[in-house]
Amino acid sequence: MTVSRRVFVKAGGLALVSLGLDPLFLGRAAYALRRPFAASRRPILLCLFQRGAVDGLNLIVPHGEGAYYQERPRIAIPANDVVDLDGHFGLHPSLAPLKELWDNKSLAAIHAVGSPDSTRSHFDAQDYMETGTPGVKSTADGWANRYCQHDREHADTPFRAVGFGPQLPRILAGSAPSLAIDDLQAFGLRVPQEAARDRLTRAFEELYDGAGTGLLASSSREGFEAVQMLKRANPTQYVPAGGAEYPPGRLGKTLLQIAQLIKADVGVEIAFADCSGWDTHVNQGSSDGQLSTRLRELGLALAAFNKDLGERMSNIVVLTMSEFGRTIRENGNSGTDHGHATAMLALGGPVNGGQVLGRWPGLSVEQRFEGRDVAVTTDFRDLFGEILARHLGATDLGAVFPGYVPSPTRFVGAIRG
Amino acid sequence: MLSIVATLCVLTAQAPGVAPALTPRDSAFHALNRLAYGARPGEADSVAKVGVMRWIEQQLDADHIPDSRLAAREREFKILDYDRADLAGRYRDAVQERQRLQREAAATGDSSRMRGARPMQEFRELGGELQQLAIVRAAISERQLREVMVDFWTNHFNVFVGKGADRFLLPSYIEETIRPRALGRFEDLLIATARSPAMLFYLDNAQSVAPGSSPPGPLSALRRGGTGVRRGINENYARELMELHTLGVDGGYTQQDVINVARMFTGWSIEQPDRGAGFVFHDWAHDQGDKVVLGQKFKSDGEDEGIRLLKFLANQHATMHHVSAKLCARLVADEPPDGCVDAAVAAWQKTHGDIRAVLRAIVTSPDFWTPQVVRAKVKTPFEFVVSAVRAAGVEPDDTPRLAQMVARLGEPLYQQPAPTGYAETEAHWVNSGALLARMNAAMAIAKECSSIPTIDDHAQLVDQIDQRLMAGTMSPHTKTVILEQLTDIADPQQAKTLAVGLALGGPDFQKQ
Repeated sequence: MTVSRRVFVKAGGLALVSLGLDPLFLGRAAYALRRPFAASRRPILLCLFQRGAVDGLNLIVPHGEGAYYQERPRIAIPANDVVDLDGHFGLHPSLAPLKELWDNKSLAAIHAVGSPDSTRSHFDAQDYMETGTPGVKSTADGWANRYCQHDREHADTPFRAVGFGPQLPRILAGSAPSLAIDDLQAFGLRVPQEAARDRLTRAFEELYDGAGTGLLASSSREGFEAVQMLKRANPTQYVPAGGAEYPPGRLGKTLLQIAQLIKADVGVEIAFADCSGWDTHVNQGSSDGQLSTRLRELGLALAAFNKDLGERMSNIVVLTMSEFGRTIRENGNSGTDHGHATAMLALGGPVNGGQVLGRWPGLSVEQRFEGRDVAVTTDFRDLFGEILARHLGATDLGAVFPGYVPSPTRFVGAIRG
Repeated sequence: MLSIVATLCVLTAQAPGVAPALTPRDSAFHALNRLAYGARPGEADSVAKVGVMRWIEQQLDADHIPDSRLAAREREFKILDYDRADLAGRYRDAVQERQRLQREAAATGDSSRMRGARPMQEFRELGGELQQLAIVRAAISERQLREVMVDFWTNHFNVFVGKGADRFLLPSYIEETIRPRALGRFEDLLIATARSPAMLFYLDNAQSVAPGSSPPGPLSALRRGGTGVRRGINENYARELMELHTLGVDGGYTQQDVINVARMFTGWSIEQPDRGAGFVFHDWAHDQGDKVVLGQKFKSDGEDEGIRLLKFLANQHATMHHVSAKLCARLVADEPPDGCVDAAVAAWQKTHGDIRAVLRAIVTSPDFWTPQVVRAKVKTPFEFVVSAVRAAGVEPDDTPRLAQMVARLGEPLYQQPAPTGYAETEAHWVNSGALLARMNAAMAIAKECSSIPTIDDHAQLVDQIDQRLMAGTMSPHTKTVILEQLTDIADPQQAKTLAVGLALGGPDFQKQ
């Protein structure tokens, strides 16, 4: 019944067969759907978007740099508060729960990463980071979706690409199947009683069985499969492993649900979530304060996720990203304004951890971008491209980032060779 | 008129070997699905009685259709009482209030003070109200074709409500720029969008200035809408104007054309909010050189130069083809047959882009009526929700729930960040999560269904649903499944709700 999978419908399934492609391929894909995904343990990427432009300089603090303290008399992290990493850089003290992961080499930071486009508009910069085409506004789909489009052999589960939130994020938008999940426990038909819900689900399933072929038929089958798979995974009974405690709030809840979904072995390959509150123009704070509160939640959530997934982190990469960084100099309101490069974190077994990666441009005036901001030395597409290629096994990065060829010579080495 | 008669002949005398022609009722239902937001109960019959082509002519002449019920409902929307200057003032006050609160929080070191006060809340609510207004209009207006075209053009000339000043510029964009011109001339629509503050802000033209130019007066005049200091020409609008609004991505323009078009629009900007945030042309910011676009020379001529360019672009063959094909994708089929596109282009050429003539050409093309396209398109999220509301006789109220439904189905109104707008092809909105959301929406709408009476006999009930909600197009499979589901349900109210929900959420009703 699963022969006319969406991907084949999209590519013109019948046409594929008539072009001489092995029809057994279709059968194998159908078989793969019933195969427990646990057996394959495919690599997984979780992207966490810090919307609002996180201050990379107070996230991964260049405490060995005199200019850092000169430019930020009120908001710099005092050297003795910084969780030192390598004598030059250190973690914001609120990220202390992540130090352990640095020490066991599963956490790396990438500094001075960003977009070649100079926009300081949140809207435009987020858009570019999600479409993967800086400077081109009319790109219709997101880079994560394009990766799925160009690597279709694995597209045998409705949970392959999942965005957590009420709507599908731009990064996952496009023609490859992807799912928006606002709340795992409410996924499917909204009927309070389980028996009634099952009955209604079956009724709709029968109705759509008569829908024949085409996208409507294949998508509805995927939807019902997703409901069944989740039902078996029984998300209401979830207890995080290893005594992991997620922090209260939306981010913790979202990461807990992503962990659930991964452990349910429904075939997640790319998960996406976002968290906001990083636009610290006013009263940013130093070791304590506004940014510190947000970073504490982030650190606790990531540490809990890592603990919860335990040995499964061996093939998971978590990547944080943000549309741009913030000004080197603090402003008149003890905050920072929109800047250019920022810092990102990569976490997980495959990560080449225990290092601050990327070329550090320095903070002196002549080293800055437009005299005020951290210069970009790593194009974000090279970082994303490296993770897609070396972690997920993407073969055609040119198709994922049109107009740009992420080159291994520019990879920062975020993934172990 | 002759062409209509000719088409009617085609409709009634199909060539042998072709699938049988549509019945008058099927034709009416088809037209209501494509040129309106679906049929209300009994409407397919009433349109068939008037004659479907006559009904279409009436719809094309929208101004002469009385629409008092909608007018009464529109009065409930306070958003229509504000003009752009009001909203601009309120927006500026809200921004200042937010800044004041932030400064206070900074001074006292207490960021929790920001939490209770939400100065921008009003603008979030206005955005929601704008969505609800769109749903009310689509659901109950008698001028259905105009509402369909308002949606089409709003999407074609997309502006994202979430980008800064567009939070307060969008209402006037919809009311003053798009709606009055939805059935007018393409050229006028194009010029109006180009001059609209909403578009000027959204695609950054407001900050595009000739390199090296500087305004008279103090430095503060350099700042607009929080977008910062202007640094030279900004190509965004110029590029999207050609790629999306007019010529199409394969329209034959070059990067040099993009730059030259951007130069022509330097100085097209927005007044300060306290002056009403209307269109303004800054001569000081305008690039005074001559420009060449698509091989055509444009002499430097201030603001008029841009107007001449827009007229030139509006009537390029590539534009006619690009926009006609997109219209046919909306009205005929995702991959429209060449015939209807060619007919639309020919009408465009003949009438210099009279939108009504283009529409007439499409609906009188045999491609519009061919059985292969009938009930072969999947409704968009907006079309699905509105058509279900119309069929079930649900009164769209002033709560955000219907707008939220559209959002859950994947295409929240006015919230597409990309200037492409939402795509016209089903692959972009048909997916497993969105289909489950459609089923949930159908069940919610079914609970309020007023267009079907409670009937004890299940066969009669299903027949009523088929006739009144779907003009007799329910498939035998759907009927069988619904009847099976009803067998153990004794309560007629419960049976009705379940049957209507299954019908609206099932595969037949997803199509148009």
